Amino acid sequence: MGSIILEARDIRYRYPRSMEAIKGISFHIRKGEKIALVGPNGAGKSTLLMMFNGMIRPDTGIIVFDNQPVRYDTASLRTLRKRVGFVLQNPDRQIIAPTVYQDVAFGPTNLGYPETEVREAVTLALRHVGLEGFERRPPHQLSGGEKKRVAIAGVLAMDPDVLVFDEPTSGLDPSGSEDIMELLDELNHGGKTVIISTHDVELAYPWADRSILLLEGKILQEGIPEVAFGNPEFVRMAHLSLPLLLELFTELQKRGFPLTEKKPRTVLDMMQIIETLFQNTCCRARPGTITVCNVDLDNEELLLEWISSSTKISVGAMGTRAKQRAENRQIRLDFTYGVIDKCILKALLGDDSLILTTGSMVDRVHTRVEDYGKESGIHITVNPLEPGIVQTNKKSQRQT
Amino acid sequence: MFEEFLEDIAQKNGLRGINTYLKLATGLGAIILCLLSTSYFPPLFIALLLTGSILVLARVDAKTYAELFIVPFWFAAFSVAGIILISGGQEVFWRWDPMPWLSLSITRVSINQGFLVFCRVIGGMSAMCFIALTTPMTDIFIVLRQCRIPEVVIDLAMIIYRTIFIIVDQVKQIYNAQVMRLGYSTFRESIHSFASMCGAVFIASWNAGEDLIRAMDARCYDGKFALLGETRPVEYLPLFAVMVFLSLSSVVVILSKDMTII
Repeated sequence: MGSIILEARDIRYRYPRSMEAIKGISFHIRKGEKIALVGPNGAGKSTLLMMFNGMIRPDTGIIVFDNQPVRYDTASLRTLRKRVGFVLQNPDRQIIAPTVYQDVAFGPTNLGYPETEVREAVTLALRHVGLEGFERRPPHQLSGGEKKRVAIAGVLAMDPDVLVFDEPTSGLDPSGSEDIMELLDELNHGGKTVIISTHDVELAYPWADRSILLLEGKILQEGIPEVAFGNPEFVRMAHLSLPLLLELFTELQKRGFPLTEKKPRTVLDMMQIIETLFQNTCCRARPGTITVCNVDLDNEELLLEWISSSTKISVGAMGTRAKQRAENRQIRLDFTYGVIDKCILKALLGDDSLILTTGSMVDRVHTRVEDYGKESGIHITVNPLEPGIVQTNKKSQRQT
Repeated sequence: MFEEFLEDIAQKNGLRGINTYLKLATGLGAIILCLLSTSYFPPLFIALLLTGSILVLARVDAKTYAELFIVPFWFAAFSVAGIILISGGQEVFWRWDPMPWLSLSITRVSINQGFLVFCRVIGGMSAMCFIALTTPMTDIFIVLRQCRIPEVVIDLAMIIYRTIFIIVDQVKQIYNAQVMRLGYSTFRESIHSFASMCGAVFIASWNAGEDLIRAMDARCYDGKFALLGETRPVEYLPLFAVMVFLSLSSVVVILSKDMTII
């Protein structure tokens, strides 16, 4: 765990001529954490988020950013806002300029970067969100998901340490939401602290490192998602619903099944619980292998050859660039979200799978699979995509 | 909505990649030549060439283009009818004095005058369409900055441009919501609905304005607005084509100096 980057100490806030929106909240967020603020409408989520970059000043109490109490003079606010990027719920309200390039360049320009640096920052930010080539497009021609990405790129271009998202998936279709959540994961993996507000429990539960449950301007429960959502009474009070997996787990527990202490976060966790329950009856095939293709390497021909030679394989893509590559090469993707887990599930069924990903994420596949192996005692092989494997693959096909 | 629709065409027309100055020179040059012309022929000639390039080079749908012309066409037709009837002249073909103080007549001069005005409208209109359909607003902003228009004006124009689409969208939504609940069924009702829509849009725009300030503040607004600076390079072929078009049109203007329809 990193050091504390953002801290709230007993903050209170009352909107003018209105009820108290925040009624004494204290918490801290560490560097590199993924935090979900969860609560019903009007719980004070957005108000709280706006305090992180100084848009709202608490009436009492202080916000501490990077061990410094937040000060509200213009110069300090500028520094704060450069380091805490804020993405509004409605991208139409956030996108200011008439073209994508100009909008993403807005922050860097106002920070006084020279033009070449602005250009560099914009190119990098647009590549990060997968919108290369959109520079000259006017925002009103983009789809909801694309607009959201432009808004995110606009914030990324300032290279903040903390990213704050107000309802990042509102108004997006399921696959659009998954893409955005995946992007948030990618950003977090790149070292950014990510804070989101949401009332979508299913979304927050598997994603967050820690969740903060808010109700009527107070913290109801705080902790790892299993704890934050673990108390059905609190969840009901907050007008939310229990995550489906957790509900299933509780129901199994109530029926007296001997379950592990660890509550399931993902379908994979749940599968493991069920399989341990029915170990004797379940006939498990020899686990399949997972092949990882790093799309940053120059291996396109090999990849295409590999895919065409293996017919029954499932393909997943992790990260924006990997997905783009798949789209460009018309590779049909079976998984675009929660890819590693889904590939492990496939492997457990005895099927092979391929993960397309970028250089920085390759390690993550290995770590996740190893962690799973330690927990469950099932060893799954992870291979990099290499010419040798093509041949063995072909050989095995010939044999069959 | 119409604005969105024109801008959309401009964003993906076939001449998008041509240097903005060349396109503006073509359009503005054509308008000036239409105004300078003393004969009906050059504006028609210009209209023909520009229409051809809009339809063939910019690949704009002919039906859309024709629709664009309907309103100005009728406007021109009625104005020209007025000009023909009211202005006097030597050779009178027809005359009527309905009132002691009003006399309507059709003369050789008035017909020539009216037809010239009509052709100028058509020529000017096609030049305007040429600019509107081939040059998106975003490219014009770049030209404006290069022409040293004050930054404040350009920034304001850009924010207005961006906001127009958001407000148009809102109007559309509110209008649909009203129609769904039979908002415009009677005349009385439609006046009432329209008024409440205006009120709602006003409040929504006010909120959007406040949000805009907040969004700009959140991204360290310091009075600067980035601009995609580069314009496309001037290529030889388009430059040559524009020069040929303008000089050819000028020659036509000079040669057809005294040409009249009757």
